[in-house]
Amino acid sequence: MTMWLPLLGLLLGVSLGLLSDIQIPQIYSNYLSIAVLAALDTLFGGIRAHLQQIYDDKVFISGFFFNIALAAGLAFLGVHLGVDLYLAAVFAFGVRLFQNIAVIRRILLTKWSERSKVSDTKVQE
Amino acid sequence: MKKAINWKFTIVLLLIGFMIAIQYNTMEHPKERDTRDIWAIRQELAEEKKIHSELLTEIRDLDRTISSYRTLSESSTGQALNETVDKLHKKAGTTDISGPGFTIEVRPSVESIAYGIPITSISSDLLTRFVNEVNRFKGIHMEIDGKRYTMMSSIRVINGVTTVNGLNVSSPPFTIKIISPTMSDSEKLYNYLLASPIHDDFYLDNLVLEINQPERDMTIRGYPDKFKNLYLKELPKGE
Repeated sequence: MTMWLPLLGLLLGVSLGLLSDIQIPQIYSNYLSIAVLAALDTLFGGIRAHLQQIYDDKVFISGFFFNIALAAGLAFLGVHLGVDLYLAAVFAFGVRLFQNIAVIRRILLTKWSERSKVSDTKVQE
Repeated sequence: MKKAINWKFTIVLLLIGFMIAIQYNTMEHPKERDTRDIWAIRQELAEEKKIHSELLTEIRDLDRTISSYRTLSESSTGQALNETVDKLHKKAGTTDISGPGFTIEVRPSVESIAYGIPITSISSDLLTRFVNEVNRFKGIHMEIDGKRYTMMSSIRVINGVTTVNGLNVSSPPFTIKIISPTMSDSEKLYNYLLASPIHDDFYLDNLVLEINQPERDMTIRGYPDKFKNLYLKELPKGE
């Protein structure tokens, strides 16, 4: 039950976006793509923190908005300086995304193997 | 505590989903760039203007009909309606029509006669092409080998023979008659057809077009059958 609510939110957001048929101008699509990346990064960071039991509300929410703003700002600066700074953001967020997902995977694997051990011992008893 | 976390996650996920959907929308349907140059735009404008003027002419015509209905007294409304029916009959091609026009003879080419190539009936594709070429001009009436060509006419191959209105078109030579609204229209069409590349298409089929000078007065027969009315129904009287 607790898993389903966020998933429902995601589905709702996607359908809302698709149904409203909003399009942003091509020149701003860079900003949006990097904002999406930042948001995903924060999300997976949040999930990881949650699994490691070090989750903090303030960190999560502030990180979400701050990362998006920073990424978009960096991209904006890059456009005006003529340096593809948004690539730096893509790189940073991409690497962190992979790390976070790797950590989540390991934690889940450990949990799963512990659980199966427990059930094994139960069966033996 | 746990519930609060879930709510925040939900809202954040909703935002992310929304952003992803918008990004997807933007990537899927990029705005089409307008690549027309000034000439293309001018041409489109000219086309629209042509349609505009055609529509204006039509409106003027209809206005005239309405005013004729208004001015006529009760007793002669029947006459006005009859006039309209006649006009529609004429437009549909069910009446005989006479006016300035010219004839075109379709003959086998001299070379094909010299080589003894057997003469076959004209292909439906070629005849359709010819009709399309002529139909660039508005308000014309056409008769192909004695068959009136109307809006509802069809050019088809039936049992290997090209037909118009379901009747065989005889193998060349045969005659096509075209009547235009005025003599100058007729001359314009005549000159257009003289220079038209349609001659090459006919020559490829071993045929030649012999276009005769426009005449002041010509008659072509009306479409003999009744049109099938599939969509309109008469209302019962008094309604």
